Amino acid sequence: MRAQFRSRIRFVLTFLILATICIIVRLYFVQIVNGEEYSLKADRQFSANSGGLFDRGSIYFTRKDGTLISAATLATGFLVAINPQTLRDPEAAYAAISAVASSTISRNTFFSSVAKKGQVYIEVAHRLSEEEGKMLSEKGISGVQVLRERWRQYPGGSLASQSIGIVSYGSGDTLAGRTGLELMYDGTLSRSGDSLYRNFFAELFSNVGNLLVNARDMREGDIVTTIEPEIQTRLASNIEKLNERYSSKESGGIIMDPSTGAIIAIASYPTYDGNNLQSVDPALLGNSFVEHVYEFGSIMKPITMTSGFDAGAITPETTYKDTGCITVNTARICNWDAKARGVIPMRQIIMQSLNVGASWIATQLGQDKFREYFVKLFGQKTGVDLPNETGALLGNLSKPQQVGYDTAAFGQGIAVTPVQMIRALGAIANKGYMIQPHLVSAIRLNSGIERKLDWGKSVRIFSATSTLETVAMMGALNDEILYGGKAKIPTMSVAVKTGTAQLTKPGGGYYDDRFFHSFVGFFPSYSPRFIILLYTNDPKGVQYASETLDATFLDLVHFLIEYYAVPPDRGFVTSSSTSPQTTTPQ
Amino acid sequence: MHNTSFHFPFSPLSFCIGVVAVLLIVYIGLIATVMSYAALTVEFSQSVKNDKAVVASLEGQYLATVARTTTADYVALGYSLPTSKTFVPAKSVTALR
Repeated sequence: MRAQFRSRIRFVLTFLILATICIIVRLYFVQIVNGEEYSLKADRQFSANSGGLFDRGSIYFTRKDGTLISAATLATGFLVAINPQTLRDPEAAYAAISAVASSTISRNTFFSSVAKKGQVYIEVAHRLSEEEGKMLSEKGISGVQVLRERWRQYPGGSLASQSIGIVSYGSGDTLAGRTGLELMYDGTLSRSGDSLYRNFFAELFSNVGNLLVNARDMREGDIVTTIEPEIQTRLASNIEKLNERYSSKESGGIIMDPSTGAIIAIASYPTYDGNNLQSVDPALLGNSFVEHVYEFGSIMKPITMTSGFDAGAITPETTYKDTGCITVNTARICNWDAKARGVIPMRQIIMQSLNVGASWIATQLGQDKFREYFVKLFGQKTGVDLPNETGALLGNLSKPQQVGYDTAAFGQGIAVTPVQMIRALGAIANKGYMIQPHLVSAIRLNSGIERKLDWGKSVRIFSATSTLETVAMMGALNDEILYGGKAKIPTMSVAVKTGTAQLTKPGGGYYDDRFFHSFVGFFPSYSPRFIILLYTNDPKGVQYASETLDATFLDLVHFLIEYYAVPPDRGFVTSSSTSPQTTTPQ
Repeated sequence: MHNTSFHFPFSPLSFCIGVVAVLLIVYIGLIATVMSYAALTVEFSQSVKNDKAVVASLEGQYLATVARTTTADYVALGYSLPTSKTFVPAKSVTALR
């Protein structure tokens, strides 16, 4: 009797254990093996948007006091979907929906959706505000669903839009970063779709490790840029005004910390608003700062000059005979006014922007040395954290003809990107060290850790002594030549150089009446906090960069000095004198 | 002669049924807890996202204000440019300087 009872108990226990195993195995197959398929089926059955709520990390600007301001974030609201099979009164539904979403819904589209009786879920309106969504939801219209949705929003509109980038579907069905930082840091910004609706059984079976250390939280996060929103706004406004005033094809500007490579502002015009991409020219979605190369003209002369000093080919006291024009390999090279200056010192090459003088330095350097410096400065991509960076066109420096070197000495015949140009000129400002320009300073991971990015890689190109000689010349240009000497700031040394390059013709050669204007400057000259590069492509009705870009540059200099309260570096005895100094503002 | 075998004070079948009942209640409790946790997680997460969106809206207003200030033509608004700027030494912010 007892044995019979025991066997009965064993039978029941075995049955329970087998049933438990069966359930576990079934759960494993349902949730792990076939989970995705069932999930899709469920989505179709419940007529919900199968993609789930869009989620993505934020991109931040950083104010001067360290406050983070969103450059790209998520907006929340509602979408409206209809079920044509259960929609009883389409006219009433359309009236209710169009009352809150008149700008995003058209009558034709709505009623063509209603006619699709074979479908159970069609989205008819998007991006309704909280109030609009709740108002429509409260009406409880049969066959109309009001569902929450999120979308990418750029609070600054067009502010740094070409560098921030966009999120779009592209050729696939997944929203992802397509340009700018959105693309460059897509791995950090994108979010796994199941982050909210976690499958707990699946987690238990397959991701036990994630319960302790979540790999996603160590990868996903927000991006903190070095862009200062108020400086960015100022630069963008000035660039737009500049472009409109001279009807240029395009204009741009970069403000960078030359000692760290942190880009504080980067703006180009024409630009676009990332919140409204419907009518944007696709060509604008690229980033001319890294994707386009330009012949920058005479702002290359400080580099030629510093190379000459560094190689020992010239000294500040060296003189040469300026004949106004020279012929090299049958090509004629002239000063901007074609006038001869006679025997003059090196300083005048920068002060008067003499092409013949720059060519003379290139000849003194020799082709190998010249090539060595320029390849160090422009031979590689900068590694800036923007996608699709292109390389410089330095083909003329691979040929034996001297004319290629002579023209490169004053910025013609070689083409570089604006980011390469500011990095190279930054080496002069930064006592000979070339740094890596960058836009992102840190990543704030979901785990709570803020990971600072290390951009400290710097390369010595010039000796500090050679750069100081060039800086002195550029400082004198600002104090004595620019605006006839009125640009001089008594309490702040500013080093500048203007550049005017002839534009290339499509079939070869150069236009006589179309130019590319550029301007570079940094301050305080001998310990610069900011380097500014400006350019405008094909301005109309004006020939020289000193006419187009100096006002924009000086406005930025004065704004930066006041905004950051940059202390004076000259003309001010702070230890004993308390007498104020007065200047006339520009 | 003693019977040394152990006797349950209750029927083994009742014991098994009791264990199954307890396990069932624990199972249902676990499911309820997990579902509540999931619902709260979703709710809190949505709440955070909503708050972030509100902050983004305020940030948008801030950036629009900065843009308006930057592009304002102060001369057209009736202000005049200063005739001169005076630079004075900044006062020390601590007594130690």
